Amino acid sequence: MNKQEGVAKADWSKRGLKSFLNEWMILFLFIFLFLISSLSSAKFRTTENIMNILRQASFISIIALGEFFVILIGNMDMSVTSIIGMTSIYFAGMVVNAGVPVFWAMVIVILLAIAVGIINGALTVYGKMPSFIATLTVMNILKGIYFIYSRGLPISGLPDSFNFLGAGYIGFVPFPVILMLIVAIALHVFSQHTELGRSFYAVGGNVEASKLSGINVKFIGILAFVLCAVLSAVGALGLTSKTLSGNVSIGENLLFDVMTIVVLGGTSLTGGRGKVFGVVIGALFLQVISNIMILMSINTYWQWVVKGIILIVVVLIDSNSSHD
Amino acid sequence: MDREKLVEVKNCTMVFPGVKALDNVDFTLLSGECHGLVGENGAGKSTLSKCIIGEYRMTEGELYIKGNPINIPSYTVRKSAEMGVAIVHQEFQLMEDMNGLENIFVGRYEKKGPLIDWKNLQKRGEELLEYLQCDVDLRVKVKHLRTAEKQIIQLAKAILDNPQVIIFDELTSVLQGEGIQNIFRIIDLLKHKGIGIIYISHRLDEIFQCCDRYTVLCDGKYINSGYVKDIDKPELVKMIIGRELKNVYPPKNDTFGELVLQVNGLSSPPAFKDVSLEVRAGEVVGISGLLGAGKTELIHAIYGNHKIAGGEIKIQGKSVKIHTPKQAVRHGLGVIPDDRRKLGLNMLFNIKDNTTLASMKQFRKWGVFQNHKREADSAYTVNKKLNLKYYSLFQLVNKLSGGNQQKVVIAKWMLRDCDIFLLDEPTRGIDIGAKFEIYSLINELAKAGKAVVLVSPELEEIIGLSNKVYVMYEGKIMDVVEGDDITQEKIIHDLLGVEEA
Repeated sequence: MNKQEGVAKADWSKRGLKSFLNEWMILFLFIFLFLISSLSSAKFRTTENIMNILRQASFISIIALGEFFVILIGNMDMSVTSIIGMTSIYFAGMVVNAGVPVFWAMVIVILLAIAVGIINGALTVYGKMPSFIATLTVMNILKGIYFIYSRGLPISGLPDSFNFLGAGYIGFVPFPVILMLIVAIALHVFSQHTELGRSFYAVGGNVEASKLSGINVKFIGILAFVLCAVLSAVGALGLTSKTLSGNVSIGENLLFDVMTIVVLGGTSLTGGRGKVFGVVIGALFLQVISNIMILMSINTYWQWVVKGIILIVVVLIDSNSSHD
Repeated sequence: MDREKLVEVKNCTMVFPGVKALDNVDFTLLSGECHGLVGENGAGKSTLSKCIIGEYRMTEGELYIKGNPINIPSYTVRKSAEMGVAIVHQEFQLMEDMNGLENIFVGRYEKKGPLIDWKNLQKRGEELLEYLQCDVDLRVKVKHLRTAEKQIIQLAKAILDNPQVIIFDELTSVLQGEGIQNIFRIIDLLKHKGIGIIYISHRLDEIFQCCDRYTVLCDGKYINSGYVKDIDKPELVKMIIGRELKNVYPPKNDTFGELVLQVNGLSSPPAFKDVSLEVRAGEVVGISGLLGAGKTELIHAIYGNHKIAGGEIKIQGKSVKIHTPKQAVRHGLGVIPDDRRKLGLNMLFNIKDNTTLASMKQFRKWGVFQNHKREADSAYTVNKKLNLKYYSLFQLVNKLSGGNQQKVVIAKWMLRDCDIFLLDEPTRGIDIGAKFEIYSLINELAKAGKAVVLVSPELEEIIGLSNKVYVMYEGKIMDVVEGDDITQEKIIHDLLGVEEA
């Protein structure tokens, strides 16, 4: 075949079944959970319900994938909820109050998100602020700004056609699910098969060694926050589309779910370890939990308790495993 | 002279899942002696010392402390401490933001009612230092102390409970010159008080300088034990690696090419000032100096990772601006940093990903995607050349031995095909066998026409490998020694900053 001189073959066979099982633990857990749910509830295993779960998991997955890149480099973005609120309210404001075409309004809110991402990144990378504090501060500032703009009231009256983004179907598959799959596949390829993508893992694993290997670690640092902000904005547009109204409180309580999903997906909170599809499965996992609890008519507040316990268990496992 | 047996280990076997770390090892420590425990990395030195302090429980065997048989299953670090066994580690286990006094007494504060009795502690701290005959300001935050002073604080902490056995675990690996001499002086002092010392070090010269007896371990097995005065270094080396070693240093390369790297008047106060040096292709240029002479800072400044105040760097005769490591890499520089775990490797990456980290652009598919297969094949080829010992290219690097980890760092830059290699203490914490492999690697790099800058605290290494040596003292180049003039006397003379009369 292509036996060039001096090029030897690497031992691909020795990749290790054990590490594979370890990395995809969440997948097996998810399959287990799914089977148990299917067996125990007839309502659960209907196509309609499963499509519903997929659709509800789609935008939260996209948002969590943004947070994934920030956590992958060992940082944290607390401002996602505000980016979501900001996107929702300004998008609706532009379309409904100022008559901006939907497409251009989308472009503008994405640009706004990029700006916020750059601010988050710059405060962390150049300002050397702990990302937790930098983004927490940005979160509150943004919140103040869009509350001043909207006085906290929702803006409704978006065109019906915009509803397709969040509630449309292609065949029998909801459009958000297709969008989520496209985003996830693209990000998977980006993270595993491009130099830039691999650099996120390198920086998360060891900033200094990456820098000395010629990687522009500052750029990667800022890019992570920009990716997070943009994906949050995309998620926010989807959530806005479902109700056809801009709402400042649309992102509230989402941060907790986002963090849970990212960690549940096998992402290490100290950075350097995690997988795009792990995050997607994490989102599905959490959605199945919510869904089955609703079907069993358990009080919604119990969801908070259960999700909280899940996060504790997952972080405990992450913090105490040796990752060999 | 009748000496008490402080520690006696009989037929000690320690089995970890899948590995026999110690196999039927005997060891005896007498009072008032310094006993060198020697062997390569993985020979079982630290496992044995951990069995003695109760961090590990030996699988089989007997342990006696001061003649008392120890019940192994219930033996713990706390119990060993109560029986008078202490250990001082090579890594600093100090709180950088607390002062020396607090570091010594933390967890064992003396109190006056509910409050800490600082006055009394200060007095006791000073007594400890007096005992060690050292002078360190205990009121200064530890992070402001010099390395040697930090070691003194660690020692003071260790002797706080009047131990009778002290294990020195590679204590001198971070020290140089005077610092090491000071440790030897303290060892002597402790010996005279009847304390027994187990001394672990990679530097064999130190064994001959300060130990009375030695015990050699190899692959977890007991090899030999005896009086240091009865053997010489080649004999000891032979025991350690199980074979004879001739020609430690390969013959130096003597065909040089063009001037590749020129540094003119580079300054970065307070680390170094007005440093100039020249490196030709095929040349190994050593930089020697005491700790704090500015060697590491100089390497990082050339590499764009340390701010410079003035001066010029020329590569292949052209003046270049290097502000970031990325630019340095583009200009054909590669760095093997002193701390490979913190600066050289990504511990979460496997061997393949660490090897290709600096040259991912070589493996593009359709301009954007990484070709993992070609990456793996190239990583395999280069690591094969370096004789890397591993199970799989896809295993994480954190389980490799120090020597093999260092090879991966070197492989990274060989794959990138750098012209200039900046090596900062390339053999730190590496066992003897691997050291020699690194030496011949450096030699091969030079033969292949690479320019090599070598920083090392071990003078012997610098002398054995360099074609030219720059001696730094307090941030300045004191002297340049070339060819046959490279001798120990000449360099030590310069190292200590002795003015020419």
